Amino acid sequence: MSAAINPVPFNQAARRADFPLLSREVNGKPLVYFDNANTAQKPQRVIGTVDDFYRRHNANVSRSVHTLGEEATAAYEGTRDKLAQFINAPSREEVVFTSGTTNAINLVAYSYAQPRLKPGDTILVTQMEHHANIVPWQLVCERTGAKLKVAPITPEGELIVERFVELLTPDVKLAAVVHVSNVIGTVNPVAELARACKSRGIPLLVDGSQAAPHLAIDVQALGCDFYAITGHKMFGPTGTGALWAKREHLEAMPPFFGGGEMIRAVSFERTVFADPPHKFEAGTPNIAGFVGLGAAIDYIGEVGIDNIRKYESELLAYATDALRSVAGLRLFGQAREKAAVLSFLIDGVHAHDLATLLDQEGVAVRSGHHCAHPLMQFYGVPATARASLAFYNTRDEVDRFVAALEKVRRLLM
Amino acid sequence: MSAADLYRENVLAHNREPRNHGALDAHTHAADGANPLCGDALRFELRVADGHIAALRFSGESCAITIAAASMLSERVTGLDAAAIAALRAQFDALLRGDPCDRDALGELAAFGELVRYPARRQCAQLPWATLTAALNGAASATTEKDSP
Ligand SMILES: Cc1ncc(COP(=O)(O)O)c(C=O)c1O
Repeated sequence: MSAAINPVPFNQAARRADFPLLSREVNGKPLVYFDNANTAQKPQRVIGTVDDFYRRHNANVSRSVHTLGEEATAAYEGTRDKLAQFINAPSREEVVFTSGTTNAINLVAYSYAQPRLKPGDTILVTQMEHHANIVPWQLVCERTGAKLKVAPITPEGELIVERFVELLTPDVKLAAVVHVSNVIGTVNPVAELARACKSRGIPLLVDGSQAAPHLAIDVQALGCDFYAITGHKMFGPTGTGALWAKREHLEAMPPFFGGGEMIRAVSFERTVFADPPHKFEAGTPNIAGFVGLGAAIDYIGEVGIDNIRKYESELLAYATDALRSVAGLRLFGQAREKAAVLSFLIDGVHAHDLATLLDQEGVAVRSGHHCAHPLMQFYGVPATARASLAFYNTRDEVDRFVAALEKVRRLLM
Repeated sequence: MSAADLYRENVLAHNREPRNHGALDAHTHAADGANPLCGDALRFELRVADGHIAALRFSGESCAITIAAASMLSERVTGLDAAAIAALRAQFDALLRGDPCDRDALGELAAFGELVRYPARRQCAQLPWATLTAALNGAASATTEKDSP
């Protein structure tokens, strides 16, 4: 559904030009922005939409009958329709707006998991999770006496599916898996995992933060119960995101935050909550941000998610080959299904020195643990450098990045 | 390379061949420094006699800035007492902030004045100082990492 029905023509150079920031210089060199897994840049379409909202339509949502209020509400709620379509949700009411993935997962942790957990229960995660898909579970485990279990991965960075399935014992009350790893790019076989969970009656949450900007998402085909996304990685504004959940779960979940927007009637004796999704959306949301997110979804549709996937996998192959030519370079994560994320180290060179020196060449990469300490521990390194690519990046940028790496290596050796 | 100002030749040389590197037999004081988010880890072992540092060695895996700072520091503080080291550390912190300081007293360590332009990397050069101070004070561990994501 979210896949293009008619192939959309793809003009990469024109698409790159849609992103004003990409034409700036850093330290006197043309910027090479390879930190897309951290946050993506924004196309003019998104910037212009947010600007236009504040200039012409700004009002609070769901409260005012005046014209501006109705315009703001229509634009804001319009994003819910777009997002529902983008992930092929069966219904727009199953899309809860959050400030991002972190909030979405916490909502499930406190509203869904905590009331159901008791001592002896477990939550199953994988070795490659982001802290956002570990820490909320640990916090509810502490409160309930439940425990976390971890499904192992191979040295190539692939989930060992048989082990994951074996670990789905009756004590598991929820499984939580990243769709695409932010550190090593692995694309997990979510549909297969969801089938295994479903046949055992175990709900599955998928952290889709890194999937949304790179591949077509179809929550019905995936067969999961919860799907979390974050807007800023999919070319939208920061502070936007969503939790998709099956209606039955949303109906069973108590509200997490209380306040305005989420009620039907309030008296001091009793409050009647609004239906999902609004019962989870207390207070004035990031209205302009969500309107901008709608523009980002339109934009991705216009570029064509299949074009993005195809272009990026070619760029990944090119970049992987190019990095292999650098002496002493070690790549982390060589999954067969992989998004354009390259974590690496160079023998004898610390990741932070790499990042500082690359920045002097105008190349922005991330160094550190990438909010995934357990994965760093698995590889036995404190930190890596990470280049994460988007469809607006080019082979020429990969070449400049590799040339800068060589320069840095020579300097430090 | 314009980062040559920070990664200048003496910094690179200290990183390649750190002075006073390794373990110190019969040490009287020791501490472990770590910036876990960065992935810098460092151990200082010292022999203190009559309140003065008679010998000092360090080991660990860290970035070039931390290693070079530790190496230079190890040479600079040998023979000093705790009060002189504290005074020198205050000069070093002033240097990193870009405040007036006694560059002559800091000697080679003045190279890190370039960190004024790299706020995120200052904690790397400060880790050896914090670790040394911890060892002198009888503390087991030190960090210069602030709460950061
Ligand atoms: C895999 C993964 N999960 C979760 C998150 C958290 O997203 P956010 O910080 O937008 O809530 C990120 C982003 O850092 C991520 O890469």
